[in-house]
Amino acid sequence: MSLRALAVVFLASLLVGAARADEAFIPNQSSDDLTIVDLGAMTPGAALPIGGKPAGIAVSRDGARAYVTSPEGHFVSVVDARARRVLKRIAFDGQPFGVAVSPDGRRLYVADMNGRELLEIDPDSEKTRRVEIGAMPSGVAATPDGRLVIAAARDDNALVVIDAENFARVATIAVGRHPYGVTIDASGRRAYTANVESDDVSVIDLAERKLIANARVGSHPYGVALAKGRAFVANQYAETVSVFDAATLAPLATIKVGEYPESVGVSRDGGTIYVTNWFSNDLWSIDAESYRITGKAATGDGPRAFGAFVRAVD
Amino acid sequence: MSPLAALRAIVIAVALSPLAALAHGATPQKVVETIEIAAPPAKVWAVVGDFQDMGWLPGVVKTEGQGGVTPEIAKRRLFLAGGGVIDERLVQYDDAAMSLRYIIEHVDFAVLPVGNLSATLKVSPAPSGGTVVEWKSRFYRAFPGGNPPEQYTDEVAIKAVSELFRSGLAALKARVERE
Repeated sequence: MSLRALAVVFLASLLVGAARADEAFIPNQSSDDLTIVDLGAMTPGAALPIGGKPAGIAVSRDGARAYVTSPEGHFVSVVDARARRVLKRIAFDGQPFGVAVSPDGRRLYVADMNGRELLEIDPDSEKTRRVEIGAMPSGVAATPDGRLVIAAARDDNALVVIDAENFARVATIAVGRHPYGVTIDASGRRAYTANVESDDVSVIDLAERKLIANARVGSHPYGVALAKGRAFVANQYAETVSVFDAATLAPLATIKVGEYPESVGVSRDGGTIYVTNWFSNDLWSIDAESYRITGKAATGDGPRAFGAFVRAVD
Repeated sequence: MSPLAALRAIVIAVALSPLAALAHGATPQKVVETIEIAAPPAKVWAVVGDFQDMGWLPGVVKTEGQGGVTPEIAKRRLFLAGGGVIDERLVQYDDAAMSLRYIIEHVDFAVLPVGNLSATLKVSPAPSGGTVVEWKSRFYRAFPGGNPPEQYTDEVAIKAVSELFRSGLAALKARVERE
């Protein structure tokens, strides 16, 4: 190997070494703040005050911004994720809850939990568009190509498919009872929603816009994460994470976690699952292959982290 | 819509919304109450673990139910001295761990101003001998929207649940220690 080639290898290894672990941005609803957890060390940093009983979270794909909904404060906080600073609050006429950010980072999609609408918000100009979702809009997710937004109408037992460009409703898909969290796979082919009241996960074919099947999980499921071709589902009453094969929907494992687990996230490499435990005030990490608990980090009081809470750090 | 019709629609919506069984406030609340009882855990669990008899809770004059202690099957209706009822369903039952979890399926907000309440009763050996009973709950205030009326705030809901659990645990202690 030439000296130059060696130098390139050396520099490349430096760059790899410089890539830091992901972070979790966890809104704590009772303590009114945001805990940022270093997911490599599973250690929490200082809490960032948010106010307004924060619940929903969406971190932009580039890791630059985190958006936090405060349903009781009627605002959405725009957080500079690197500087750990709230840049501004966007006023919201209603109770902002589920939130997603478009893949290009230019649009927010915010569910009004006690209204009937999903709002599209330009975080810079704060211009909005609205679309009717139905009763108790809850979880929201955007497809990786940015063309569709999926929102759960919890009390209508339906997922609503929105065309992002026109911000218009294009389909309504009946699912299980009380769909809550919504997760879309990396290919954008399928959506998964946890049905709190029917103890199952509805799996949706997004091209066909129809229900493929309902996969049975534990009592009171809230959130779904996808890794290694498997779905990981937090069951709030059962205090477990159910694992099933994302293709065949066959059950694979049940993992005991903390008290009242709600939200589930996944590391960028797909190797680790993270679950927030609302009652025991902590975030647990789980190896996505062995299902072993690999770490625990304290959060503030009442971590909700409803949405995509894992931030890519480069 | 005429102004009068609009007003009527709002009045009806406000009157009905707290009664919608699954609507609730935005922020879940926590209550945790514990008590020490000078009796062996098994003796305490014999009372607490009988899901079909809530007679140890002050104010309950009768329990009617079915399904024994089978999770998701077992239900009970508590008849209260004041005339109200509370409908509950068992969702978890662990005899070995001496722990059960139930939810309120229906309650009048005049009886208990809470929404979506789930609660866990756990019986453990106390470090000093005897028993510790922990009663913990997650619930929402009854009123679903912002700016709740004063009888449906988070504080009112927390106070009601705390007082219910404290009175229940005190009565449980008195009963088991007397037997």
